[in-house]
Amino acid sequence: MGLLSIYFKPNFLGLLKCLNKLNWFIVFFSLINLSVCIYEDQIGKFDWRQTYVGRIKFSQFDTVSTAKKIIVATEENVLAALNLKTGQVVWRHVFESASTGNIQLLQITEKVVTVSGSNPYLVRGWNSATGVLQFEWSLTLQNDEQADFSEWWVQNDMLVHMLPVFGSHIEVTMYNLATGQNRGSTTKLPAVWANDGCIVTAPYYTCIHGPMGNQQLFSLDVTSNTMHLISQPLSEYVTLSSYDGNLRPLDGNGIIPAFTVDDRKIIVIKNSRFELLKTDVVDPSASVAIVDIANGPVVLQTWIDDTQGFSMRANSVSTGAEVAELRTSDRELRLPEPEVSSAVCTKSAREQLVCRILLTGGDDSVHLMQQGGRILWSREEALANVVAAEFVELPVSDLDAAIESEFDQKEAAKMYSSIWAAFSRRLQTQFQQLQTLVHSIQSGEVLEDDPPSALVRDYFGLHKIIVLVTEVGKIFGMDNLSGSILWQHYEAQLDTEHVLLYTRRAARHPPHDAYLTVVGKHQETGNGLIISLNPITGSLIGERVLQLDVQLLQVAILHRADNEKLHALILLDKDENVQILPQSAAPLVENMFMYVAERNTARVQGYALIYNGQTVEALRTWLVQLGGSADAGHRIVAVAGKAAGERVHSPGRVLADRSVLYKYVNPNLVLFLTEGPDPLHKDVVVATCVDAASGAIVAAQAHRRARALPYVLHTEHYLAYLYYNDKQRRNEIATLELYEGKQRWSGAGAAFTSLWAERAPGVERLAYILPAAPAAAATTATERSLTDKHVLLALTSGAIIEVPWAYLEGRRGGGEEGAMLPAPAPEIMLAPEARLNYNRTLARPRQLYTAPAGLESTSLVLATGLDLFYTRVAPSKTFDLLKDDFDYYLITIVLAALIVATYSTKYFASRKMLKLAWK
Amino acid sequence: MSQIKSNKKFKWALDFNQKNRTQATELPSPPGYSQSANASYTEASRDTDSNLLLIKKLWDVALGPLKQVPMNLFIMYMAGNSISIFPIMMVGMLIVRPVKALFATQSTFKMVEGTQATGQKFVYFIGNIVNILLALYKCQSMGLLPTHSSDWLAFEEPQTRVEHIGGGLSLI
Repeated sequence: MGLLSIYFKPNFLGLLKCLNKLNWFIVFFSLINLSVCIYEDQIGKFDWRQTYVGRIKFSQFDTVSTAKKIIVATEENVLAALNLKTGQVVWRHVFESASTGNIQLLQITEKVVTVSGSNPYLVRGWNSATGVLQFEWSLTLQNDEQADFSEWWVQNDMLVHMLPVFGSHIEVTMYNLATGQNRGSTTKLPAVWANDGCIVTAPYYTCIHGPMGNQQLFSLDVTSNTMHLISQPLSEYVTLSSYDGNLRPLDGNGIIPAFTVDDRKIIVIKNSRFELLKTDVVDPSASVAIVDIANGPVVLQTWIDDTQGFSMRANSVSTGAEVAELRTSDRELRLPEPEVSSAVCTKSAREQLVCRILLTGGDDSVHLMQQGGRILWSREEALANVVAAEFVELPVSDLDAAIESEFDQKEAAKMYSSIWAAFSRRLQTQFQQLQTLVHSIQSGEVLEDDPPSALVRDYFGLHKIIVLVTEVGKIFGMDNLSGSILWQHYEAQLDTEHVLLYTRRAARHPPHDAYLTVVGKHQETGNGLIISLNPITGSLIGERVLQLDVQLLQVAILHRADNEKLHALILLDKDENVQILPQSAAPLVENMFMYVAERNTARVQGYALIYNGQTVEALRTWLVQLGGSADAGHRIVAVAGKAAGERVHSPGRVLADRSVLYKYVNPNLVLFLTEGPDPLHKDVVVATCVDAASGAIVAAQAHRRARALPYVLHTEHYLAYLYYNDKQRRNEIATLELYEGKQRWSGAGAAFTSLWAERAPGVERLAYILPAAPAAAATTATERSLTDKHVLLALTSGAIIEVPWAYLEGRRGGGEEGAMLPAPAPEIMLAPEARLNYNRTLARPRQLYTAPAGLESTSLVLATGLDLFYTRVAPSKTFDLLKDDFDYYLITIVLAALIVATYSTKYFASRKMLKLAWK
Repeated sequence: MSQIKSNKKFKWALDFNQKNRTQATELPSPPGYSQSANASYTEASRDTDSNLLLIKKLWDVALGPLKQVPMNLFIMYMAGNSISIFPIMMVGMLIVRPVKALFATQSTFKMVEGTQATGQKFVYFIGNIVNILLALYKCQSMGLLPTHSSDWLAFEEPQTRVEHIGGGLSLI
């Protein structure tokens, strides 16, 4: 199994050598299987899927049905049922991501009832056990402008809709929950005191109204037939001088109408009267909920204490006495801004309080806590919103590192001046190896199950760590083989709108740790925020969390590493000053160029970075206005440069007549996709290839009556992008291929420089119909770019489809030259067997990330979105790996049988000879 | 040896008793038989005869490769231009055989020393060369010869880069 990959690594000759060495038998069997898809028994072997629901908006315990569940409705417009014991998703409905899918209400009676959308609203009932839709009716409000202020709740099997008109009145309508029948007409209740600071604590509508210093607290039960307005001066509850008008409903599913005033006092409406609770809010940031326990309702508060960490306290509503069982403080639990989403408490048979409290953190995590503070399960819902991901190599094991350093020329020269030192070192290493061997034999399989020791590079380089940056500012390190979270780091201040991720030092430089940097913005100031981590352990290293005092325009990574093998970051700030991180790497800046594209004006500015002896300066060198003049109204939809450190194995392509068409591989080429209005053709999409070092436009093409989609691909000499053809009403994919021609422009191995470009490359272009709606696109990436390139398309239907580049080829069907390519067809066939995620449908795929594995044939793929899906693909089949179902036993038995047969025949033959001789 | 025997038999067939053959040889020659003349004759005839035969045989050997050409052409035609195991084996044979023969030229013509040796060697050499050329032609028509630039593409060094870039959409 390993043989092939070793021999394959050096070059193509290596493959030939290994073919010679290997049994033809094996090669034959490995080539015979040409199918793309996997077998049934391989399901889940190379891939995993994790389903998420997003940040929880509403939740309620379903204690009615036999299988205990929590029903949640989320900010991502997902309705789901979570298993109470494990936290896994039992069923899930993903609604539209736009406002039409917004969930306004979640109510659990014997059914799960949701109100979703925004005028028209959809009221739906779901079976709580299976999630099957049971009824649905829609509701359109006449008053569309005010509709956003609608409030919904369920009372006595009636759906109550309340629409306040501020400063005037409240409209209340009640509908039959299952049928939508209106009980009577809309009731209009006069309420001049209604304003936008009002809150609903069903069935009361509560407001603070009145001139400054003389505010009144109003509350009205909007569902009762008799209008009874409760009003009290606010000064009875809070001192008005420090009051800032903060009226807040309680968290959780309130069992009695209550609210907090000024984040300090809790007021309950009881018997049509306001009642100030004896318990105050402990901390202004605390989450307050009222939970019914056996002895009557209690006020449950959670907050983060500076000294004690996560804290929780419960006090009885009526007496104010503390419930000791629910008091918790846990310094270990990292749960920023905890919020009680819902809670349920019962008394067990032995008169003990059994509580289940669902907590949501500011980092979108969900935890189910029981009384006493034990966490039953946690879900990291932040992963439903991944904004950036990177595959990071694992470090080699200590022993391998020792061997590597021994044979490293420079190191060796430094350390072992004499031959004896080297010899003793060799003996030592040998001894170490022996020790590990003995140790591993002794401990057997136990060693492999131990996760910390397993975090070393494997033989094929398939094991990596995926670093994921989520929208909420939480950074995760994930094991790519199992999908388990290895570490997490929450940075509340990180604004991840345009977050960038750089691996500045790989783990292959043993004394130094791997180094990964996240460049984002500060939540409040918008200034640059740089977080440096060790991606293996998740601990902060180097600059740690660095807050810049200026906004960043763009960031680049320096191609040359410094003495510590660290690649410096080049930060270009708003005033076009350059900072180098670390500063000591400034002299390494040479032949470095940067470009900054403005999305809305389609202006691209090029800079040359020059080191003047002390600092690095950014010199404006070129300016390109894409899409014509500045007032043409073009905007950039997507930008794609080549992946950093991309290798191009073959400088040309072999044609059918065995001549070579040389590729135009410009490492500085960037593809810009813009769209803008056109007086004649409504919208035009323009794709422009710009040399980012010189600013030269290398190729361009336009599509009329089309709208651009933000999916562009750029690798080697291939470029592709997707757009919506408005005329034909379909999605299309356009491809560009750049070629130098039959002759190479410069000699083999010569340096390519953008600044001396005298010739324009030839462009082969075609567009194909894509019979699906794309959601993301990526190309496969392999270690040495020897294998074919395939395009991966995530579709809105939840599939990831692998399309060979040959089907997108610009030269397809081009007579003699295209003879080696598939027959021309206007439509790309999306074969069901090319679907990477077989029947594991992904909800809302958003982005695809690919990374090379250590094996040349294999590329690792991660799809993010509401779900996470990881798999690996082999575009040219696994030519360097034996098939998964390779029969080791059969071949061993055959070999053994042959050996036995050889020796036995030899013995028999000699006996026969002896007999013959005696005759 | 047998040749000499048969010569004897033909020249003089008065041997009536085979049992006494050993004794007969010790007997004086019968009248009319001159042993010396016979000996000289057999000596001379044997010499020239075997020489002629050898030369003839060697010419056969020398012309062998050329005689194989039509046969090879036929095999080549039958093998076809597809690249699969049997045509490849045939082409391999076509190449390997003449090359081996060329290396074995010295041993093949070891026993000959004469006026025609160089000529024979030359013809033999030419024949093998013709066979090799035929095989090469076959390789060429099968597309096995690395005569196109695409065959050397894998050995071409990739280009290096001078400038490096960074950047993207404005972060503001």
